[in-house]
Amino acid sequence: MHLPFRSKKTLRTLAVAAMVGMTAVGLAACSSNDNQGSSGSATKGTVNWWGWTPTNTDEAKDFIAQFNKKYPDIKVNFKLIGISDYQATMRPALASNGGPDVFDLQPGSYVQQFGTYAEDMAPVAKSALGSDWKSKIAPIAVSGMTYKGKLTALPVGSTYAGTLWINHDLFTKYDLQPPKTLDEWKHVCQVFEQNGQGCFVQGASQEGFDQDTLQSIANSVKPGYWTKASKGKAKWNDPTMVKTLSIWKDLFTSGIMQKGALGAQQYPDANNQFLTGKYAMVMMGTWYTQYATEKAMTEAISAAGVAGAKPFPIVPIAFPDVAGNGNTSEMFGDADYGLAVASKSKNRAAAETFAKWIATTKQGQQVIANRLDTLPTLKGVQPDFTTIKFVDPSVQETPVTDLLKKVGSVNEPRFALLNADIENAFLAAAQSVGSGSATPQQAAETLQQAAQAAAAANG
Amino acid sequence: MTETTGVRGARMSHSGGTSGRPALRGGQGNASPARRQRLQAPGLPWILPALVLGVGLIYYCIGYTGYMSTLNWDGASPNPESVGLNNYVRIFTSDPVFWKAVWHTVVFFVVTFVAQTALGVIFAVMMHSRIKLGILYKVVVFVPVVLAPAIMAPVFRQMFSINGQFNWLLEHVGLGALVQPWIGQESTALPVIMAITIWQWTGLTFVLYFAAMSQIDQSMLEAARIDGAGNFRTLVSIIWPSLRGTTVALAILGAIGALKTFDVPWLVTIAGPNNATQFLGTYIYQMTIQLAHVGYGAALSIILLLVALAIAIILQVVGRERTREKKGAR
Amino acid sequence: MFEVRTRWGKVLLQVLATLFVLPFLFPLIVMVQGSFAGAGWGNYRAVLGVPGFFRFFLNSAIIAAGVIAIVYVVTMLASYGFAKLHIRAREVYFWMLLVCLTLPEVVLLTPLFSTTQQLGLYDTYWSVILPLAALQVPFAVLLTRNFIHGLPDEMFEAARVDGANSMRGFLYLVLPLTRPIAAAVLIFTLIGAWNDYLMPLVFLQSQDMQTITLVPQFFVGEFSNDQTKILASAVLTAIPEVVAYLCLQGLFERGLSAGAIK
Repeated sequence: MHLPFRSKKTLRTLAVAAMVGMTAVGLAACSSNDNQGSSGSATKGTVNWWGWTPTNTDEAKDFIAQFNKKYPDIKVNFKLIGISDYQATMRPALASNGGPDVFDLQPGSYVQQFGTYAEDMAPVAKSALGSDWKSKIAPIAVSGMTYKGKLTALPVGSTYAGTLWINHDLFTKYDLQPPKTLDEWKHVCQVFEQNGQGCFVQGASQEGFDQDTLQSIANSVKPGYWTKASKGKAKWNDPTMVKTLSIWKDLFTSGIMQKGALGAQQYPDANNQFLTGKYAMVMMGTWYTQYATEKAMTEAISAAGVAGAKPFPIVPIAFPDVAGNGNTSEMFGDADYGLAVASKSKNRAAAETFAKWIATTKQGQQVIANRLDTLPTLKGVQPDFTTIKFVDPSVQETPVTDLLKKVGSVNEPRFALLNADIENAFLAAAQSVGSGSATPQQAAETLQQAAQAAAAANG
Repeated sequence: MTETTGVRGARMSHSGGTSGRPALRGGQGNASPARRQRLQAPGLPWILPALVLGVGLIYYCIGYTGYMSTLNWDGASPNPESVGLNNYVRIFTSDPVFWKAVWHTVVFFVVTFVAQTALGVIFAVMMHSRIKLGILYKVVVFVPVVLAPAIMAPVFRQMFSINGQFNWLLEHVGLGALVQPWIGQESTALPVIMAITIWQWTGLTFVLYFAAMSQIDQSMLEAARIDGAGNFRTLVSIIWPSLRGTTVALAILGAIGALKTFDVPWLVTIAGPNNATQFLGTYIYQMTIQLAHVGYGAALSIILLLVALAIAIILQVVGRERTREKKGAR
Repeated sequence: MFEVRTRWGKVLLQVLATLFVLPFLFPLIVMVQGSFAGAGWGNYRAVLGVPGFFRFFLNSAIIAAGVIAIVYVVTMLASYGFAKLHIRAREVYFWMLLVCLTLPEVVLLTPLFSTTQQLGLYDTYWSVILPLAALQVPFAVLLTRNFIHGLPDEMFEAARVDGANSMRGFLYLVLPLTRPIAAAVLIFTLIGAWNDYLMPLVFLQSQDMQTITLVPQFFVGEFSNDQTKILASAVLTAIPEVVAYLCLQGLFERGLSAGAIK
């Protein structure tokens, strides 16, 4: 065989290069020896906390400051990792020995993908709340954080979806009532359109929000079917789902869904357009409660690029009965995030103390509750409404407090039963039907096949 | 890296040079290969730092990726399952999204390369001529190169939305009939992505062609002018051929870049709607990071690497043959 | 390059150049407008007020300087070697180098992470500088080698005859003559290093080592997204790069006059 390099010098150099490469391989391979972390002290030490939330540095500082009131000797360093980079960043970090002590987890794909690096928090919960700890935390939050029998994280706050939020001023302006059926919804949108006002806006290019809308529609067609199918006990190409996708398509063809929805993202596009009054309705969940206050609304409008605008009252309404079967479309939700303790952490005890404080103590949960973006998972903790100032209490106070009461009885999950593959399939179904490149029947078939493949791949 | 200076020091003995003054051929001709070998110092130590840096750091990653491509793994669980070449088989035989991504990548490369080259050359030529406020023009074309796609993506989404500035502009120049949701529909999403890319990277081709043009012998241009050649003739016969090296380099970089392209299609349209803007780069990201099918994603990466290498070699060889022909003809 | 003698020609050229530039200007205007929306200058104040902003700026500068230094030295040595010196199987080495460019950054993260940990570089500037340099070198070598290839051989032969060895040829011929392309390489390396956000995010753990690319994250929430401040931070981040371009683009102006070589 005639090699391109005949010179011995060249061969030697190549050999050196190869050796350098292979040594690196060897060394790095050795690095995957995990050392089990040590416990450390429970009241002293440094805890590194990585997460996508809270994003507001003030919010994070606030949590930590409140925590330090009780545990002044534990120093907590929060590192913010944007949610869009979270998976890419956490995988190498958690696999190595240089990762965080405490990290955020979300039900569904994050719990599945990173749960192996977390220690079981059930004993921690037990030590904090006693052996009946399960009854003291919202059950849906616990199940969302449990994977293969392990409680991968202590749930901190929950969010629920399946509601719409409306711009109350715009509805009053055109003398409209919040729609309760699909026909009413179409009528409302016609009136808005005639007056040059946008009706409903959604970031339909993103999976999460499309999934919420589909789940709400499915709950209107046949309550509980979506959850059953997510558990694998029902099929995705059942007539129920075909009807769901047909109604979804109707949203597009009847002009309820804004033009170009498939190219928009919920944040910042749809959110900004709702906040600046360009559209009157948006599909957001309980996390949107944070904008019901005057202060938050004013800041949000300014952040959306409008200077000096007056805040308007936003009101949550139930998802309309779009199927016309007389069913109430029930809400659904999970833990928004939980705190996991890395099993490789060298400060496990201190990390546990921190996670415990935020998730299971009344003080920690009260701090969470007052933020209004997530709901506390510990039962019996409510936001302190004496300190919360609505934009227009006469219009907002009742619907909002009703909403927060209602979620206590929600038992349908949002992300917990799903994995990344099936979520990808939802997006494909939603987009292909929305763009018209597939009929609802075809999309449902494709979805069922994808769901079977996903179940096989994810075990 | 310090070990190479020792090696270099040992080799820096004066090599030959006793064969007398080399015969000069006209223009920029090189001495014959045989003579070159006798006269030139060995170059290996000079390229060693680059090789050590590149090979040392990146080749391990390549090896690791290659190993992962034979696994069915999610990157975390302790027992990866070895599947041999199954991932590759699946990619080629039962993955329509893969072929869609490949097609988009090819179209993307051709269109953006041609546009960026043409625009870059024209603008560089314009800027080399006497223009008032030239610096301002240069900065405007250059600034897009500097802006992170992550930040420009929402701006573009807003610009191309149904109520956005682009449609506003169309209406105001009388093209109101063309108003449509550019990003929200499958038919126009890819052209928008290409337009954004051209906007972003023309500054790069401009800067490089500008630098290359500064190397063109002024006396040649003067001679052509005296002979009566017009501007266009000068461009085609003198300027363009002397940019061949830069063009080949940009073609190789453009091809590799197109294969890897991720930022713009992911951040603006999330590879949608409906995979209308799915590229190899975005597909790898989706598989590896989002869906945690790390083995499958690794197989895609290896395929990308081989294709990129093949294209680079082909372009390189084609480019050099042309140069050799050109030099021989003189 | 183009000769325009007539006044009409000059005006036409100016108009053409302006028309050319307008599509590039349009999104920039939208962006700057967006950065002033809402709170106006308050957005910029908020960005500058991000805790540790100047520290981030400094870190980005340090990393960029490190990457540029390494890339410049390594590239010049390698391009000279590839272009003018004798190497058996030169193309093979070159392709080996090109291969480094082909993997997407995302795929590199996990193996690089374990490599930097093993080498004890995690959470130091080197963990970001070395990989970034390794990724920029092939691109720079590709361009520079081309440029050096275009430098006439007689120049080097003449120098050698006069008694200079390769090293002196390198220092006194190559380095000065490659200023135009070196300036281009410098700018693009700066951009590549300054704008990279994935590697600093993953490899730099301590808060006071973060780079300026992290700043927009402060304004992106799980349920919120403050576009106005993100755009303001983009403008601020871009300024050093534009300044660098302005300073260096003068080097492109200087052409090679035939006299200087002889």
